[in-house]
Amino acid sequence: MKFHLSHLQAMLLFALLVSIAFGFLSRRRPLDRAKYIAWSLLLFLLFGIGIGWAMYPFSR
Amino acid sequence: MTDETQIAAAPPRDKQREARAIALGVAGWLVPGLGHALQKMWGRALAFLLIVGVLVFVGAGMRGNLFTSESGDAFAALGYLADLGTGSFYWLAKYIEVGGPDVSHAYGDYGTRFLAAAGVLNLLAALHAYEAARGRKA
Repeated sequence: MKFHLSHLQAMLLFALLVSIAFGFLSRRRPLDRAKYIAWSLLLFLLFGIGIGWAMYPFSR
Repeated sequence: MTDETQIAAAPPRDKQREARAIALGVAGWLVPGLGHALQKMWGRALAFLLIVGVLVFVGAGMRGNLFTSESGDAFAALGYLADLGTGSFYWLAKYIEVGGPDVSHAYGDYGTRFLAAAGVLNLLAALHAYEAARGRKA
């Protein structure tokens, strides 16, 4: 069994799974949980892509 | 009355509850989601089983580094602790990763992070199950 995920695919999968786990750990009501998961996922992606772009000038 | 006397006089029911909470925490560590399932928290149980399972499955499939006790340096020891956090899934990852780790590619390195994240999330879930069994609002 081999998975060859790209950088973006790996980040998306990681961010989604960890956000869902955080949502289930910290919120009880389904609506609060869904909002928390969406917010956490958005922040993961924003920071991930933001840090990626911030490093871009030093990558070559 | 001193604090020591108060602790000594704790009712046996509290001790039973604490022992049950510890057992549920350990069960949750050994099998992701079991600590919650035994408390009939089905949604959380299923969520943690799937999340930890997918992270381990994909992490091992990406040929991430699964640390062992013979690793040597401090970072490897921390990695081993994180990987052990997956409980019984540690052996599942070993079973899946028959070709051994390959961190010469980016996906192998990501796989290492996936495996460590699975362990840490499972430890958090086990702690959550323990706290819920103790009666803490969770």
